[in-house]
Amino acid sequence: MSEELNQVVVEQVPVQKPKKEKRHMGIKAKRIISNTFVYILLVIMSIIWLAPFVCIVLQSFRCESTWMTGYIIPKQWGFDNYVRLFTKTKFPRWFLNTTIISIATAALQLIIILCMSYTLSRLRFKGRKALMNAMLVLGLFPGILGMIILYRILADLHLTQQNAIPGLILVYTASSGMGYYVSKGFFDTLPKSLDEAARVDGANRAQVLFKVILPLSKPIIIYTLLTSFMGPWGDFVFARYVSFGHSDGMNVAVGLQNMLGSAASINANYTTFCAGGVIVAIPITILFMCLQKYYVEGVTGGAVKG
Amino acid sequence: MKLKKVLFPCAVAALMLAGCTGQKQGGDNLKGTYNVTLWVSEVAGVADQFRAQIRAFEAENEGIKIVETIEGVSESSSATQVLTDIDAAADIYCFAQDQTARLIEGGALAKLGKAAAEQVKAENDAGSILAVTGGNDLYAYPLTSDNGYFMYYDKSVITEDVDITNFEAILAKCETSGHTFTMEAAGSAWYIASWFFGTGCTSTWTTDNEGKINGVVDTFNDPVKGLAAAKGLYKLVKSTAHKDNSSVASFEDATPAAVVVSGMWDYTTASAILGENLGVAELPYFHVGEEAYHLGSFSGNKLLGVKPQSDAKRAAVMSKLALYLTGEKCQQERFDEFAWGPSNKVVQNSEAVKANPALAALAKQNQYGTPQGQIHGSWWDIAKVIATDVKATDGSDEQLQAALDAYAAKLADIFEVHPWGLVGNMAESNWSTNIEMTLNANGTWEITYEFLANAEFKVRCGGDWDSFATLKLTLPEGMEQIEGGNIKVNTAGTYKVVVDPVALTLVITAQ
Repeated sequence: MSEELNQVVVEQVPVQKPKKEKRHMGIKAKRIISNTFVYILLVIMSIIWLAPFVCIVLQSFRCESTWMTGYIIPKQWGFDNYVRLFTKTKFPRWFLNTTIISIATAALQLIIILCMSYTLSRLRFKGRKALMNAMLVLGLFPGILGMIILYRILADLHLTQQNAIPGLILVYTASSGMGYYVSKGFFDTLPKSLDEAARVDGANRAQVLFKVILPLSKPIIIYTLLTSFMGPWGDFVFARYVSFGHSDGMNVAVGLQNMLGSAASINANYTTFCAGGVIVAIPITILFMCLQKYYVEGVTGGAVKG
Repeated sequence: MKLKKVLFPCAVAALMLAGCTGQKQGGDNLKGTYNVTLWVSEVAGVADQFRAQIRAFEAENEGIKIVETIEGVSESSSATQVLTDIDAAADIYCFAQDQTARLIEGGALAKLGKAAAEQVKAENDAGSILAVTGGNDLYAYPLTSDNGYFMYYDKSVITEDVDITNFEAILAKCETSGHTFTMEAAGSAWYIASWFFGTGCTSTWTTDNEGKINGVVDTFNDPVKGLAAAKGLYKLVKSTAHKDNSSVASFEDATPAAVVVSGMWDYTTASAILGENLGVAELPYFHVGEEAYHLGSFSGNKLLGVKPQSDAKRAAVMSKLALYLTGEKCQQERFDEFAWGPSNKVVQNSEAVKANPALAALAKQNQYGTPQGQIHGSWWDIAKVIATDVKATDGSDEQLQAALDAYAAKLADIFEVHPWGLVGNMAESNWSTNIEMTLNANGTWEITYEFLANAEFKVRCGGDWDSFATLKLTLPEGMEQIEGGNIKVNTAGTYKVVVDPVALTLVITAQ
């Protein structure tokens, strides 16, 4: 028996050893394989994602021709397209328009949204729930549906074409109160006892908001500013309707698109258009880089308690 | 007194002078300042030239001051923009010919007065007059006659040993040399029509007196000519060398083009890319069986339209300005600066225009061209599907014909004429199908039919049951209208049924 047992043991040992080695190698190999796979995937994804941007940047420096070409790397590099953009087109005007619209909208939206969300977060009044529900339901309708009627109203108020700037600011700001969700969620996380303490000390509601709550709400202020700045900055559909073929009322997106209206103008303007695309991206990129930290805080801060 | 003596003759002289100049310009009453918005091509420099031409117009018409706002809006999209909000649209705008019909229908074009129409007819070529005509009237002013297409090719690939008039030879050369034959197919009915016009098919739209489209004679599905065109198109779309595009930038592609079918607007770019290797020619012949067909084309125009004005004086000035801007001098200037092909007959015959190789190729191609005329807006979408459908076939006659018939059926839907018919249980028929009547020359519908006894029936237009209720019935002995509205046959026999859809009467008589 013992011999038999021994035999069994002897037999088991050589079987176990390679098993252990295999398992050890397996984990290492697995990690390498999975990492390689993940990195390859990520590289492919980033190439796909970055390719259009790289193309646009490269095309904007191409000087040998102005039309679309079958190659990406320019043969002659230079700033001709940028010079043409600022001297031969109305781009500076469009850029100014867009900046005015975006800054005004961001400022107005910020005030409206913060007041709205503070009110809904802190005050209890009759119809509060009903108001919130009504806004939720209204928010479910696609805004684009109202485009034609809004255009009609703006046209009758003479806020289209060359007067597109105030018209657009009005439209972008008008419904901003309904975007209170994220910041209300953030305000809900701030302890109410702060408000109460301030009230006890004799502060009124406005003072509580401006002196106590807002200094604590930097991330949400920046988040609101950023999102309300970006909306008008990149808007095309509505801006095109409201400017209605009037180049003085166009924003950058509409103006640039207008440069590519026909086959002949695509041939003449394509690289200039790319230069415009690059310029448009610069302010928003800088803004994001500077404020990215707050942006993430704002989103997550507001998400804690919805 | 002295002063009066001096002033009086001066005033008379001034009045006479004003009267003379006024007469020259068609009346003093047009004097004044006018704010005018113009939408012209967005191509760089065009707006500036229009501005300069308006100044010249002012100089020629003393007393008329134009304060202009000129915007660049492409000719292909201006019509859509205008129709979106006519009030906000420009007073004078340029547009591509294919938009004329919908602009007339949308009330966005002011009719030309008699004198202006006469002048336009006298000065411009026949195709461009057709382009601005709707019904019995003219609605716009021809700006160019160069909206057609021809062939750009790379002489270093399509060398002299290749027969430039032979489509198959060119295509074969493209395939062997690794170049593309770039011609739009699935994306554009405008280019597809080339094959069908080449074999003698037609697609002619008719308009009523108001300029609204009311019918079409289309033979694209003709079993001989249409099929031949489809076979030619099949050769193109199935070729490995085919690229479905119309941009001369294809000459610079990774797989470069040897041939690009495009129009005047690409001439500057094509010359810049190919330089001395650029060749321009009319489209080639393609071959089906024993027959050779020269590829046809659309020949079209760019037009200048004037928005209807509420003020008659203003309307007269707009018309005068539009006439001036499309006149000989302005067209010559546009050719000189932008190589826009003129519609004005005098400019067309000038040496400079004749010497332009691209315009010369276009002129040659136009001999095989079909003036675009008015075309229903939905045709472009219906017809461009032909290329996709043809490509999906196996190239057999049956499948190609089926693709063309599918196109014809969709076209028929636009002007669907619903025939009147009998519906009921009077014979083999049942209550679900119409027994169609025939349309008489006088507009009435008629059928002579043998009815069984006790059968019940109604008469309806297409599938519309309500149409029966609108008719005033005159029934013979042996038929009666029973409760529920059906006509019941009491006596079997042959009856003649006549419907007058205008007078809304139904008369049945025993035969």
